[in-house]
Parts: sequence; C-alpha cells; structure tokens
Amino acid sequence: MTQALLSQFLIGFSVAAILAISAIGLAVIFGVAGVINMAHGQFIMVGAYTAAVVGQMGGNTFWAIPASFIVVALLGLVVERAVIQWIYNRPLETLLATWGVGIILEVVMKLIFGPQLYYVGSPRVLGGGIRLIGRLPYPYYRLFLIGMAILMLAATFIVLYRTNFGLKVRAVRRNRVISGCLGIDTARIDMLIFMFGSGLAGVAGAVLAPIKSVSTTMGFTYAVNSYMVLVLGGVGNLLGVPTGAGLIGQAETLLAFKYNSVIGELLVFIFIVIAIRVFPRGIFGYYERV
Amino acid sequence: MSASAKQPQIIKSKRVLRRTPLVSLSTVIVSAFIVAAIGSLPYLLGSGSYVLLLTGKFLCFTIFALSIDLIWGFTGILSLGQAVYFGIGAYLVALSLKINYAMDHPTRYGHKFPDFMEWNGLTALPKFMEPLISTPFAVICALMIPALLAFIFGVITFKRHIYGVYCAVITLAESLILQEFIIEYQAYTGGFNGITDYSNYVGAPFLWFMLAVTVACFLLARALTHSRIGTVLKSIRDNDLRAEFMGYNVANYRIFVFCISALMSATAGAMYAAWVGIVSFLDAGPVFSVEGVIWTAVGGRATLVGAFVGAFLIKGLEFLLSGLLADVWQLFMGALFIIVVLWMPDGIVGTIADWVRAWRRRTIKQIREDEDRRAFDQQHDWAPAGAAKTGEEAP
Repeated sequence: MTQALLSQFLIGFSVAAILAISAIGLAVIFGVAGVINMAHGQFIMVGAYTAAVVGQMGGNTFWAIPASFIVVALLGLVVERAVIQWIYNRPLETLLATWGVGIILEVVMKLIFGPQLYYVGSPRVLGGGIRLIGRLPYPYYRLFLIGMAILMLAATFIVLYRTNFGLKVRAVRRNRVISGCLGIDTARIDMLIFMFGSGLAGVAGAVLAPIKSVSTTMGFTYAVNSYMVLVLGGVGNLLGVPTGAGLIGQAETLLAFKYNSVIGELLVFIFIVIAIRVFPRGIFGYYERV
Repeated sequence: MSASAKQPQIIKSKRVLRRTPLVSLSTVIVSAFIVAAIGSLPYLLGSGSYVLLLTGKFLCFTIFALSIDLIWGFTGILSLGQAVYFGIGAYLVALSLKINYAMDHPTRYGHKFPDFMEWNGLTALPKFMEPLISTPFAVICALMIPALLAFIFGVITFKRHIYGVYCAVITLAESLILQEFIIEYQAYTGGFNGITDYSNYVGAPFLWFMLAVTVACFLLARALTHSRIGTVLKSIRDNDLRAEFMGYNVANYRIFVFCISALMSATAGAMYAAWVGIVSFLDAGPVFSVEGVIWTAVGGRATLVGAFVGAFLIKGLEFLLSGLLADVWQLFMGALFIIVVLWMPDGIVGTIADWVRAWRRRTIKQIREDEDRRAFDQQHDWAPAGAAKTGEEAP
C-alpha cells in the first residue's frame, strides 16, 4: 500500500511538472504582461508541431526546444502586433480576441499538416527508466520533465529578477504611467515580454510532444489546466506556479488513483473553487493596495 | 443645497425614468412582424422542413445569447460556462423523454429502459433516475438545478469579489469538466453519442410555445434592465467599486442576475432538447459557451435585440456556408472574434443604434427636447450643481 502510494506520489510529481511546464509561459503572459491569452494552448500546439517537424528533419527534443522557442516567440510577436497591442486596457475583450486567434491557429495548422496525428519520439538518451521503488520503472523522460520544469522556472526567474529587462518589466507592471515618464518604452516592453512568454509556451510544446500525440486540438486542455494552476497558485510571484502545479498535480493523481480521473478532476475543481474563496487572488496572489 | 432638499430626488429620478415606456410602439410593431413571420413558418414551409427545425433551434440559441447578454452586457460578468446550465437543462429533459420513449419502444433485448444504458451494461434504470419518468418533474428539475448551481457558484465567488478574468477562467473549467463528465459516464448520459432517438416535439404548436417563451424572456429581460435594478446592474458593470460605495450590495445583485441568467439558459436547453431530439456533450461544453458569447458580441452587448440578431445571423450564416467549406467557416469565426473586438465593440445593433442616435441628435426636435430636459433638470436640481452652471450636458 505504502509502495503504491509512494509511486503515485512520484507520478504526481511528473504530472505537476507537466502542469508547471505548460503554465510557466502563461504565468509570464497573464501574470506579468497582464494579457489573458486564450490562445496559450494553441501556442503550445504550434510548439509541438515545430518539434514534430524538427523530429522529421532528424533532430531530437534538445534541438526542438530552441527551435520551438524561436518559432512560437515570432508567432507571439505577430499576434501581439496584430491584435493584442490595441486592447491592453480591455482584459475581457482580449480574452475573446485571443480565443479567435486560437481558432485561426488551429485551422491553419490543420490546413498545413492535415488532420492526422503526429508522433514525436523522445531522445534516445532518455529512453529507459530507473527503478526507484520496487519493480515499478520510472521513465527517465519523467525525470527530464521535472528537471525541465525547474530549469524553465529558474530561467524565468533570472530573466525577471536578475536582468535589466526584468527590472523594466516589473516596473511597467507596477505603474505603467510612471515607468513611461521615466523613459521606459512600455509598448516595447509589452511586446518583448509577450514574445518571451510565447516562446516559453513553445518550449512547453516541444517538451510535451513526446508524451502526447501531436494534434491540432491538443492545446485546449493544457490552457485550461494552466489557468487553473495560476488561479490557485496566484500570479503575484513565480512561486505560484510550482505551488499550484504541485497541489493540483498531486491531488489529481491521488484522486484518480482512488476513484477515476474525471472524479479526480471534479474534486480538484471544487477544491480550487473553495481555495480561491480563501485566497481570492491565489496563494501567492498579487494583492495590490488600492 | 441642504440635505433635506436632496431627499425627494429618488422620486424625481423615477419620473425621469418613466418617460420612456417599457417597450416603445415601434419596437412592438417590428417584433410583432418578426413573431408573426416565425409563427407562420410551419404553414409556409410545411411542418417537417429543415428550415423550420433550424428556426426552432435558433430561438433556443437566442434565449441562450440573451442570458449571456444579461450577465455580460449589463452586469459585466463574463461567464464562459453558460453552456453548463444549458446542457444540464437539455440533458435532464432529454433523459426524461428517452426513458418514456424506451417504455413504449423496448430495446433489442426486450428491456424497457434507454438503449445506451443497455449497451453499457446496465440491467435496469438506475434508481436515481426513476423520478425522471415524470416529464413535468424533469422539466422542473431542468430549470431549478441550474438555478441552484448558479446560486451556489455565485455565493462562493461573487461574495468574495472574484469576478472578471478569474470568473471567466473558472466557469470555462466548469464547462470543460461537465463535458468530460458526460463523456466518462456514458452509461448514464450516452457519452460521445449523446442522447438520440426519442420522441421530440417538433411541430407548429411547440414552435409557438417556444416563440411565446422567447418573447416572455425578452420582456423579462427588458423589464429587468429597464428598472431600478437594471440601473444598478449597469453601474456595477461600469464601476463596481463606486456602486459598492453608493451602498448597494454588489455581490447580491450579481448573484441575482447570475441566477436569472442560468434559469434562462436552462429554459433554452430544456426546449432545445425537446425540439431537436438530440443532445450531445458539445451542448454543455466550453466551445458552445464561447459561441454564445460571440453571438452576443456580434449582435451587440447591452442591447437585448443583439442576442436575437447575433444568434440568427451567425447560425444562419453557418448553415448557409459551413456545408461548402467547413474549415473556411472556422477561419471566418476566428476572424470574427478579432474583428468584433477590435473594430465593433458595440456589435451590429449597437453600431446601428449609434448611427441612428447621431442622426437624430441633429434634428431640431431633439435639440428642443434636450433643452427642455436640461431646463427640467436644472429646475429640479437633478444635475450636479457644477455641471448645470457651466452649461454642460446633464447626465
């Protein structure tokens, strides 16, 4: 029993890692840039397709990661310039417009790549698994996912808190008008941070492609789950992402083990709704003084 | 002005409000024409025609869009899970009709309960579904359960000042989970196939009934938004903090309108199930929810007619175009979201209303009326003192 629970706990860690990987790009876009990007799932999908293309050209996940970052960051640039820059001050309408962007991306990818599923193999280095407990193998790729989640969080932390660019981003987020008065090009900062967040979504797509078949509709669930992670964890602080992802991942895995995955999701949803009654802006929320 | 002089202002504001009737004569005439046109469709097309079926569907979609308009257009709550209430209403009615149908039409192995339950290994109607044999009870459930759910949801979120983006995301997740729930528990819900093959109510009498319900919903929405409550709701939409400071219990108003809206969605869903004769998990899913939002946005937020225009226009266009080019239609829908948000935030009806207002403003009659109103306002101290003195237009 304890062994089963322990192995569920380890699986929960990798589920949490997947959640964190898909949510980190959104944490930057939604939490820092303040844009409600409903096309986030489709950005992940585009990243996964990029990984599929890289795979067909002979590269593996390690090549796909930078490729996806660049492709989706450029996509983010286009979306930001074409749509989002006009509606920064209307959050709920951004939501609708980006939903439209998501639909367009899905249709375009379907027209380019066709309706069939793509499979991306994981790199040969990460092929096997180790036996942590008992006879249950724990695939190396899951460990890689956990490492990747930590790496992406660390990279985001460094960009936001240890660079000049990050300082400007945080200044713009705190007070846009004053930052503009101090000579920061706020529109450019908005654009760059949106690109950075989109690029992270692309990396998420590249990393998650080997564990799920790549299709045009794969993104939506990731997007909703990412939003739930941020709603629970809060966007005031990067710690919200691992906290939210850890809680949701572990709870969902344990409940899915005890009942089934849908009941697990339902209970986790109820848990989240109750949790935000206690923390209206998430656990690490950004509680601003009015 | 002393405090006592300001006391009777509320009464005066009522007088100002009462100047406009609940429904203007021209609206009555136009809507009578539309109602008559839709009501006579069974005679023009024959009662089995596909267009008739579509029209009935669109009436349900209109009510659905109206329910979204009430909470989003008038109160500023963007719910992306309105299809949850539509779906629950639809599924309960469909289940009831299916159970009744199965009693008269035994399945292949002679059982008297719905065939999809048989396929999934049930041997008898589950105990908790037995009350649904009575269709009136099922209809009451179909209306009350969504309203109750909306109430619980509202109490949990609005009482804690959770709205805007957070509310939108949570409602979106809600409808995603309901959809997965329906797919997973296929023994009870029909799963991917949905619930089909039951005796639905397609025909002229039911169309008239749906028409009557639609008109009733419009009148209810009009009365609600035209009353003092409606004024408070709009003020909450425009600035909830200020409305709170004015002493209104913002959370309670939000919960109230959310429940009314859920009730309307459920009504639409219940009629949809009875009319169309097929209910699927898509009718409870996030895509349908967002579609409803886009009907409202295209038709015109905060204009009740917009719900009707948006639902009929977009679904009508989809019917005309999607058969030829399904992918292109999807592309068009995506582009429509962006176009409406960027260039037409008021929607079709709102934009036309703006033109009409601008045109009217130029007429002498309007100028005179404006002067009269300004004089009235000044005389009764209705306008803020500063605004009246500097000659600015009174609010």
